[in-house]
Amino acid sequence: MLIERYKLKLNRYTSLSKVGVLAFLFSLTIGLSAWTYYEDPIPTGSFQLVYPANFGNRINVPADNPTTKQGVYLGRLLFYETALSAGNKLSCSSCHRQEKAFTDGKALSEGVDHVLSTRNSMSLANLLWTRKFFWDGRAASLEEQAATPLSNPHEMGQSLTISAQKLSRIQSYPALFKLVYGDTLINGDRIVKAIAQFERTLISANSRYDQYLRNAYQPNELEQKGMALFNQFPQPEKGIRGANCAHCHGGAKTYMELFHNNGLDSIPKDEGIETLTGLPADRGRFKVPTLRNIALTAPYMHDGRFKTMEEVIDHYSDHIKQSASLSSFLQGESNEIGGTSLKLLPEEKKELIAFLNMLTDSTFISNPAFSNPRLRIASNK
Amino acid sequence: MKKISLITALAFLSLLPLLTIAQSQQAAVKITGEVATPLTINNEDLQKFNQTTVVRKDRDGKDHTYSGVPVADLLQKAGVTMGPELKGENLTKYLLVDASDGYQVTFALAELDKSYTDRVIILANQVDGKPLLPADGPFRIIVQDEKKPARCIKQVVSFKIAFAK
Ligand code: HEC
Ligand code: HEC
Repeated sequence: MLIERYKLKLNRYTSLSKVGVLAFLFSLTIGLSAWTYYEDPIPTGSFQLVYPANFGNRINVPADNPTTKQGVYLGRLLFYETALSAGNKLSCSSCHRQEKAFTDGKALSEGVDHVLSTRNSMSLANLLWTRKFFWDGRAASLEEQAATPLSNPHEMGQSLTISAQKLSRIQSYPALFKLVYGDTLINGDRIVKAIAQFERTLISANSRYDQYLRNAYQPNELEQKGMALFNQFPQPEKGIRGANCAHCHGGAKTYMELFHNNGLDSIPKDEGIETLTGLPADRGRFKVPTLRNIALTAPYMHDGRFKTMEEVIDHYSDHIKQSASLSSFLQGESNEIGGTSLKLLPEEKKELIAFLNMLTDSTFISNPAFSNPRLRIASNK
Repeated sequence: MKKISLITALAFLSLLPLLTIAQSQQAAVKITGEVATPLTINNEDLQKFNQTTVVRKDRDGKDHTYSGVPVADLLQKAGVTMGPELKGENLTKYLLVDASDGYQVTFALAELDKSYTDRVIILANQVDGKPLLPADGPFRIIVQDEKKPARCIKQVVSFKIAFAK
C-alpha cells in the first residue's frame, strides 16, 4: 500500500533517474519493515470526499470541523480505540463492525456494564448526507451523536474528560492531536470531531445497484422484476402490482431521511419519536433506515425483531398492524382491492429479495481505509 | 371517609402525568429564519386569520374542500418581505416547509404572493368541514391547481424563510 503511494508520487518526478528511483524504493522497503504504524508518514491536507453525482451535494459537514486527511487518520484510530471505554473493553467498532457494514449482528448490543441497549445498532454508511441521527433522529450532527455512546453507562461508559485524560497518557496521541488541531490539547470536543471526520469518509457507492445506475451492470430478470416492484405503488383496480418501498426507501442512496411508523405494532413498546415530542402522531415512529448493504445488517428494525429479509418482506406483505399513527403511505396500500397489507405473491417476495441483494457493496466492507489501523501494523510486521 | 379521599387523591395523582402530557401535546407550526418576529401558530391562532378554501382532487379522484389560511398571510404576520417589499434581492428568498416525518419542500416567495399570482397556497387544517386525519394533519399545505400532489405536504411542523445562497 504505502510503497504504491510512493511509487505514484515518484512517478511525477520524471527527471529522477530510474536507478535512483529503484535505490530509493529499495531503502524505503528496508526502512518500512522496521516501522510501526505511528511512525508512518501521516498524510495531511484537506480530504477530498469522492462520491457519485447522483448522490447530490446536500452534504452535512459543519463549518467548524472541515474534513482533513490528518483528522480522518486520527478519527479512524479513535473509532477503533478501546481506551475510550470504561475498562478498555469496547470501541465504536465493537457494535459497528466493518464486515457487517458497521452493525454488530445482534438484536440489542451489550455495553461495558453488560446491560443491553434498548435499540438495534445502526449501519454506518453515507452518513455524510445524514442530518438527523439515531433511530429517533435526536442528534443533529455526527459530532453530537458520538458523545452519546462514549459517555452512556450502557455503552462505552466513560466521560469525555476521562477519555481525554487517558489519551493524553498514551504515547503518540498528543502529537497526533497537535497535527490535527495545532496544539497537543486533548478534550472531548476534539475527540468527537475527529471521529466524525472519519465517519464522513464511510461512503458506500459501489453496489450492483450503483453499477446499474451508472450503466455498468445489467440486472438479471429476477433483479429487474424486484426493482420494478420496489419502485411501483400497487393499483389493484388497474391490475398494476407493486410494493411501493421506494416511497420511503428510494433514491440513489436508498436513504431519504424520513421518519415513519411502518406498522410493526398497534401498541408499540418503544414509542419512538413520541417519547421526544409527546405527540400521538409520532407514536412508534422511527427513522426509515438506509437499505444499503441490507443483506449484511441483520437482524432488522429498531429492536432487531426480524432475523431475515424474508421475515421483513412477510411483514410488509401480510402483517401490517393498524394504528392511528401508521404511516399514510402504508394505509390501504395493497395489491388486493380493500387489502390492508401488500399481499405479495411468493415469487414477488423472491424478486424483491433479489433486488435487496443488489444493494450489497462488497468493496465498502473490504476497503482497507475503513479497517482497524492497528491490525495493519500487525500484518506489516 | 378517609379512605375515600385517599382513593380520590390517588386517582387524581395517577391522572396527573396524563394531564401534563396532554398540555404539551399541542401541535403547532413554527415560523423562523428571515422574519421580523418568529411565530408559533397552533390551531387556535390559525382561527384568528381570514379563512380561505381551496378545492383539490385527492388520490381517490374526488374533489375535496380544504379550508385554512393563505401561507402569505402567515408570513406577512411574521414580518416576511411580502407584497411591496417582494422585489430585488428579496426575490431570491424561499420558504422551506418541514413535515414531522422529515419530508421537505420549498416554494419561492413569489409563488405565494398575491401580487405575483392568483393561485392560492394555504395552510389547511380542515377537509370537507372536518379536522384533517392524524396521518395528514393537523396542518397540511394545499397548492391550488398544482398537477402533482407532492408539494401538498402533510403534517407540517415548520416554515423557514431563507435566502438562496
Ligand atoms: C454498545 C454498542 C455501541 C457502541 C459501543 C457504539 N454504538 Fe453507535 N449505535 C449503537 C446503537 C444501539 C445505535 C442506535 C441507538 C439509538 O437509536 O438510540 C447506534 C447508532 C449510531 C449512529 C447513528 C447512525 C444513524 O444512521 O443515525 C452512529 C453515527 C453511531 N452509532 C456511531 C458510533 C460511534 C462513533 C461510536 C463510538 C464513539 C459508537 N457508535 C459506539 C450501538 C453502539
Ligand atoms: C412508510 C414508509 C415505508 C415503506 C413504504 C417501507 N418501509 Fe421499510 N422501513 C420503514 C421504517 C420506518 C423502518 C424502520 C422501522 C422500525 O425499526 O421501527 C423500515 C425498516 C425496513 C427494513 C429494516 C432495516 C434495518 O436496517 O433494520 C427493511 C429491510 C425494509 N424496511 C424494507 C422495506 C421494503 C422491502 C419495503 C417495500 C416492501 C419497505 N421497506 C417499505 C419505512 C418504510
